Amino acid sequence: MNRDKLFSALGEIDPRFVAEAVRYAPEEAAAPSERSKHMKSKRILSLALAAALIVALGFTAYGLYLGFEYRRPAAEETFSIHWDDSPDGTITWSDAKLVVTLPELEESREIEFRTGWLPGEMLSLQSEAWKQYFTAETLSDNGNNVGIPAYQGMMQPLQIQTFCTTQFNQGGALLLLYQTPGEIREEHWEEKNLDVLLFRSSIHFDAVPDYGIPARDQVIDNILLLNQEEGWVVKVVGQIGEEQLRKVAENLEFRPTGNTLRYEDFDSHFAFFDAGVG
Amino acid sequence: MEDSKILDLFFERSEQAILELDHTYGAAVKNTARNLLRDPQDVEECVNDAYLGVWNSIPPQRPEPLVSYVCRIVRNLAVSRLRSENASKRNSSLDLVLEELEECIPAKTDVEGELEARELARAIDRFLAALSYPDRYLFLRRYWFADPVHEIAARTGLRENRVSVRLFRLREKLRKHLQKEGLLA
Repeated sequence: MNRDKLFSALGEIDPRFVAEAVRYAPEEAAAPSERSKHMKSKRILSLALAAALIVALGFTAYGLYLGFEYRRPAAEETFSIHWDDSPDGTITWSDAKLVVTLPELEESREIEFRTGWLPGEMLSLQSEAWKQYFTAETLSDNGNNVGIPAYQGMMQPLQIQTFCTTQFNQGGALLLLYQTPGEIREEHWEEKNLDVLLFRSSIHFDAVPDYGIPARDQVIDNILLLNQEEGWVVKVVGQIGEEQLRKVAENLEFRPTGNTLRYEDFDSHFAFFDAGVG
Repeated sequence: MEDSKILDLFFERSEQAILELDHTYGAAVKNTARNLLRDPQDVEECVNDAYLGVWNSIPPQRPEPLVSYVCRIVRNLAVSRLRSENASKRNSSLDLVLEELEECIPAKTDVEGELEARELARAIDRFLAALSYPDRYLFLRRYWFADPVHEIAARTGLRENRVSVRLFRLREKLRKHLQKEGLLA
């Protein structure tokens, strides 16, 4: 491919694209897109809404060019979350701590993973099996003497779960309900083509003097891995520390299940990603 | 002034057309020339030549959008000037951005000989159409207007590093797109 041909080809592209790039005006972008129009308008609306919230409420965290968009919701914002234990299968939640939205696609490629590296204390859980959910909660010592000392007092040493981004189209989101996020960092892991959010979150527990339990803060590390093109996201969360959690995430292997899933394949369009048990 | 009114002035052969063209799109036109030519005098001459080119071609042409038309003329003129002055050198800002693109498009391809620029242009059109506006903007500013990364960062409010990463990913995406379209082996 020689340079002159490349130059000539660029000179021949649709002049509408050139015209819209004369000045930066995302809100006025009029050139046609192959994506469906309603999705695009939803996305623009969501960008504008989030930007307005940032300005209005002084929020600083907003990822635009990585696939993630995230914000701390306004107090009055509510979310209808799938909840098996409620009579109608949902609960309405109004105190989410973080809302993470994802790029809209028509179809997601469903994936599964297996761990390529786990901390030494977790080697009993290492397996060649491909999964969509992994938890190390059985290793935490919750007073039942079946856990291991390294994870004493932990609620969730490690949890990994896959999601399809199409589940969260049209205003859906991943929600952090209980834990309060700290500083959010963004990275792109080129080798696996992943957009990555990393942050530490915490939840405060008051003391319970009658039982001799002191006040404490439970700290969780969170990593979200997003493949924009294939439309999937994986949460890797836990209490094993940032360094070890990152190593787990970096060594995950992924493969497609062969299924593709669309928005309408999901009953619920919100999911929470606090590092819980179960 | 709206494109249609400026075009009407050209069709009336009113010299006011050039003034209105400069008033409406002069900044974009000069910026395009400035990105490619270092010498301010070259930039000025190139812009004037572009306006003359527009004057000579409208009518009969009635291009839409007008800004793309005049920017394309100034871009071609600037590159011609650049090539004639630096025939043996490969150090212009344009060469730098084309070099970036070349890196993601292998030099040896089965169809290299036959691939026409126009066919490649249509493939790039389809690639651009599938991008989000911010991505299209980044791609055009860098590879059409030859903006330096720091200027793109300033225009969009992004960090330079973020712009560079995004451009890298766009080049990768283009490479995959061209492969998918069968233009690359």
